[in-house]
Amino acid sequence: MDFGFKHILYALLTVFIVLNYGLILQGIVRKIGARVGRRYGIRWYQPYIDIIKNYAKRSTITHGVMFYIAPVFRLTGGIGLLLFMPVIFGSEIFSNFSFAGDLVLVLYFQFFGVLGMALGAAEGGHPYSAIGVSRGLSQVTAFELPLTLGVLAIAMQYQTLNITEIVAAQQGGFLSWTLFTNPFATIAIMFSFLGAMGRSPFDVVLAPQEIPIGPPTEFHSGLLGVLQLNRAIFPAAKLILFMNLLFGGATSWPELVVKTFLIYMWSVFVGTVFPRFRVDQSVRWFLVVPLTIAIIAIILIRF
Amino acid sequence: MISPIHIITLTLGTAFFIGLLKKLNLNISALLMLVAIAAAGTISASWFTAILSGAANAEVFTAGFNPPYSINLLMGKGEALITLLINLAGFLGGVYLLKSLKERGIYTMIIYLVFIMSLNVIVMTRDIFNLFVFMEVASIGIAGLVILDKSSKATQAGFKYLIATGVIAGILLIGIAFTYYFAGTLNIDVIQQASIINFKAGSIAVFLVIISIILELKPFPANGWGIDVYEGANPGIGAMISAASASAMLFVLYKLAVLVPESFLQIITAIGILTFVGSNLMGIKQSNANRLLGYSSIGQIGLLTAIVGLKPFLGAQFELIAVSILISHFFAKAGLFWLSGIVKKQNLKDWAMLRQKPYLLVLFGIFIFALIGFPPFPSFLGKWELIMKLAHSHHFYILAFILIGSFLEGIYLFRWLGFSIKMEDANLPPLTVHWNKIIPVVLSALGVLGSGIYFGTITEIAASLKYIPLLFIALLYVIDFLPVYVKNTVSIAGIGYYLYTIYPDLEGFKLIFGLIFLAGGMLTLVAGYFKTGTRKGFYPLVMLMFAGLVGLIEAHTTFEFFFAWELMTAGSYFLIIRGKKSMTHALSYMLFSLAGAYLILAGFGLAHIGQSSYALDILASVQSFAPLVFILLAIGFMTKTASVGLHIWLPGAHAEAETDVSPMVSAILLKAGVFGLILLMLNMGSQFIGSFNIYYALAWIGAITAVMGNMMAAFQEDAKRLLAYSSVGFLGYILFGLSFMSHLGWLAAVSLSVVHFMFKTLLFLAIGGIVYRVKTKEMYKMGGLIKKMPFTFISVLMGIIVIAGVPPLTGFGGKWILYNAVLEKGWFFPSALVFFAGIVAFLYCFRLIHTVFLGQLKDEHREVKEAPFWLLLPQYMILMVIMLFSALPNSLLKPIGAMLAPIFPEGALEWQGQLAKSGFGYWNGQVIMYIVGGIFVVVFAWLWYMNRNAQKVKQFNIGYSAERPSLPETTHFAYNFFAPYKKALGFLVSPLITNFWDSASEGVHAISDKVRRIYNGNVQTYAFHILAFIVVVYLIIF
Repeated sequence: MDFGFKHILYALLTVFIVLNYGLILQGIVRKIGARVGRRYGIRWYQPYIDIIKNYAKRSTITHGVMFYIAPVFRLTGGIGLLLFMPVIFGSEIFSNFSFAGDLVLVLYFQFFGVLGMALGAAEGGHPYSAIGVSRGLSQVTAFELPLTLGVLAIAMQYQTLNITEIVAAQQGGFLSWTLFTNPFATIAIMFSFLGAMGRSPFDVVLAPQEIPIGPPTEFHSGLLGVLQLNRAIFPAAKLILFMNLLFGGATSWPELVVKTFLIYMWSVFVGTVFPRFRVDQSVRWFLVVPLTIAIIAIILIRF
Repeated sequence: MISPIHIITLTLGTAFFIGLLKKLNLNISALLMLVAIAAAGTISASWFTAILSGAANAEVFTAGFNPPYSINLLMGKGEALITLLINLAGFLGGVYLLKSLKERGIYTMIIYLVFIMSLNVIVMTRDIFNLFVFMEVASIGIAGLVILDKSSKATQAGFKYLIATGVIAGILLIGIAFTYYFAGTLNIDVIQQASIINFKAGSIAVFLVIISIILELKPFPANGWGIDVYEGANPGIGAMISAASASAMLFVLYKLAVLVPESFLQIITAIGILTFVGSNLMGIKQSNANRLLGYSSIGQIGLLTAIVGLKPFLGAQFELIAVSILISHFFAKAGLFWLSGIVKKQNLKDWAMLRQKPYLLVLFGIFIFALIGFPPFPSFLGKWELIMKLAHSHHFYILAFILIGSFLEGIYLFRWLGFSIKMEDANLPPLTVHWNKIIPVVLSALGVLGSGIYFGTITEIAASLKYIPLLFIALLYVIDFLPVYVKNTVSIAGIGYYLYTIYPDLEGFKLIFGLIFLAGGMLTLVAGYFKTGTRKGFYPLVMLMFAGLVGLIEAHTTFEFFFAWELMTAGSYFLIIRGKKSMTHALSYMLFSLAGAYLILAGFGLAHIGQSSYALDILASVQSFAPLVFILLAIGFMTKTASVGLHIWLPGAHAEAETDVSPMVSAILLKAGVFGLILLMLNMGSQFIGSFNIYYALAWIGAITAVMGNMMAAFQEDAKRLLAYSSVGFLGYILFGLSFMSHLGWLAAVSLSVVHFMFKTLLFLAIGGIVYRVKTKEMYKMGGLIKKMPFTFISVLMGIIVIAGVPPLTGFGGKWILYNAVLEKGWFFPSALVFFAGIVAFLYCFRLIHTVFLGQLKDEHREVKEAPFWLLLPQYMILMVIMLFSALPNSLLKPIGAMLAPIFPEGALEWQGQLAKSGFGYWNGQVIMYIVGGIFVVVFAWLWYMNRNAQKVKQFNIGYSAERPSLPETTHFAYNFFAPYKKALGFLVSPLITNFWDSASEGVHAISDKVRRIYNGNVQTYAFHILAFIVVVYLIIF
């Protein structure tokens, strides 16, 4: 695959679209959450306002180099994750850099930003940041296990790790989606997805009540602005990943919007209904329920 | 040639003569005594060399008649050697005892002379009654020498000795009488022709003779009296009993063994093995040095007894086996008893005194290693040949028991060595050494070393060994007084030159592991420049380890491989024990290594059945028990890769080692096990027990090791322990990859081996530098060091990114290949554990960098400097290579893939530039690097543009509930960092395995303690033991 200037432009376009989609999605979801809680809630465009406000702050402090570049790691991780995936199936423009690596790359690249952010947050010297990281990493290890098994089951099913081919195999009606062809893997992965989204009951990482917002505690102004950009892009990228793996991908932007919105609503729904787990509870839960289902998925694929 | 009879006339004559001198001049008497023994030794030596070069055996007929009418003496090869040893021991022992002999007067010297003379006669005589008489003379001599020591213990010991040998002599006499009655002669050769064993009464007569000789050798359990004698006697006398007297009696057994039928020989073997195992088992619980030496002596003699019994099966190698083990025992045990006399402390822990005179410690180490059978000592060769022959003749139980006994012996000997190297010695009295006491010890050490090298040159199998690295080590000993930088340079140059000379011959795996061992060795040695002073004794040991490692690479035969393996073990043991708190860890390292080495030895032995050559590729055509051979060797190698269950030595050993030793033993040494496994798998291929694939079990072991190692790492507070456990985990990945027996699995395993070498060297040096500066290994006591040690921070950062396997650095390549390998192979459950372990690695990676470098700087570290330049230099050299491999992954993976292609032609990666394609997916490391770099730069530029005026604030300027924290200790979240995780999953790492080994060890000690209660110190009991022993053996035979 030759790499040209146009790829950069395509990439920028993708990032732009997804960024806006992510911000709006964030606003709408917060609105829905508020309404469920019988509050009026924010305006749907509040995330835009927050970002602008943060960038406009004049006072900026830094605790050191790692602290300063942590948001850079974080956003690079988000954008990279998005760009290493084919966003719209069959579109050369929106396949971006998916030629660089396959599903394994995407799975591991998720951690690039997470770990970079953890480092920077830790340099801030705030104990809440470190506590948040400790909790976050603990939880990550737990939901990665069912996720890995689920992904292996899917890769076995389609005999490939190439995301584009996985999506291609699911074309031709919704009955050929992984959701229906491999339901146990889908359930396991969708449980892991709850952990990956970090919403209640797995939101102990940011825990606004006891360790106000966890790792990003010390971040503010432009630094926080960069993090907010990522908070729009990163979940959207993950949604696109799960959509590609389980729900037949998307052949157009509207299809992508509908599917990812519904997938997101799964975590919103669970989060609104269930209260927060402690770390040890969530770790145990992931290693019991989703893991069992993932094992069933593997057994079904193998035998 | 001087007639052998003059051995007797000289010694006896001198004994009478100095009796005439009375107390005229004790010095002259002592000198005469020594001259007489030396002259006797010269006669033996001249006969020995003459017979070796082809002269005929000498026979002496004492009364002018031929046997059976006279007593005749024979001087053959065996007699010459054993009398030489006896006279040598007599001479050295005489020198050693000079002072106490003079103190006690002329009669002691006479007894001493007569004792030595009688041993000579015992060896040479062919007449069994004559044998009896001189055995009595020797017994009285020993008892006299023991009793003359003025302590109540010695008196008791002498008394017990007299009673016990008296009982035995009675039995012997009855046996001799009946033998004479049936055979009509006392001459051994004539008795043999008379074949009296063909009828029962005759064979009972022979039985009584033989069993008495065996009882003289102190067989387990009828040997309480012997142990008490060793404990009670002056160590100088103990040396004589153990070295001279036991050798003589052993030779008698050998001499008389011609009289007995094969069924007797089996019993002799069984008694020997029982003694070897039982005695060493009881030695474990022993804390008294002389008594311990007694157990060890009796054990070794038991082994030799068994060898005599096994003679028909050992064929042409019998002489080599028996003599090499006897000589090792002879020199080492005499030397150790003499050392014990110098130390004058009976408690093993007090042997830390030896450190006051480092050369004594060296001597002590030589004796211990000679006893255990390490190269280049003769017993190494002897044990090798013995095991090979036993395997050949299908004596598997005996083989197993010999290895078990040797292992038990290793437990207490290495514990003792550890005490002497590391035990607290503050309250011990100063050590005084007299010339006459040290000379015999030094000569014994030279003797055992020299004989080892001599045996190496005369043995066909050892002829191909390379001694050049060993000579280089000797050179380093010679220049040990020079400062570090000189020796370091010499060492690096030496390794470099050696690598240069062997490089053209290396290919494939040998090239990769050769580079890890040698280039890696040079790299880690570079760090050594940060040390000042002379660092005594360090460089020879380092080179010993590297000599062993390179020997593994160069080995063509199983023997060479095992030789190198043992050298490496010895070198690394001493490196590990150099650490401040390493005593127990070095011991457990040594014991696991020893057990592993014995399994390897047994495996090689079984593999050799039905083969004529020792070439390594006989493993490819193992005739019988192939799965067992595979399992034995695999477990042996896994003691070095520290797979789960066999890992407990590793964390302590690596964590407590010195700064630049940790990377050597962690990043480099563990690869020896990997190399062994690769050799094994390459040659033996797939192995099944029934339909069960052994490799599937290996995959599970690898996966569990990975999870367990990584999780333990996450729960450590000690930075170096964290890294050590991380090695355990990573070696688990490698084992897992190897178990796949596929192109991709091996590609992952081999490339991870290279990567592990790099990042583990990097991290151990970096953390070592920090520990060097902040003087603690506890991570929670650090914090905020990024500002003080930025260069170290960068290398740790890169190191953990590689471990974590996060793109874009090179660790990800391994993960990607593993995924593809798993999909191809389909072993999903162990694989899922491996990927889980990969994520668990994030926990300790983050903890390492956070608690050390990030968070709050402690007040006491505000003045800390960056790590020394010489520690940073190798780190940055490695970093450059890591960046190269990350940006151009095919520079590492493509050559390895090409190397694997002939072995596993299926499933290779397809390379298009930097794009790797497998049957399932693709990955382009270079493009990923560019893309990630590009995005990073853009985002950074954006942030920089927005926030260029960011103001740097002081440490405590954080939003902390509207307060300003005052103490870094209370603000730095570091201790028990993953507490909730421990709460959830800590049960997975509950120390089951450590508990298992602890209780195994306790169990062995408890058994040892129970068994040794049979020795109650009561001489009546001992006499009963002797009689009961005879009865039991009689009942078994007849």
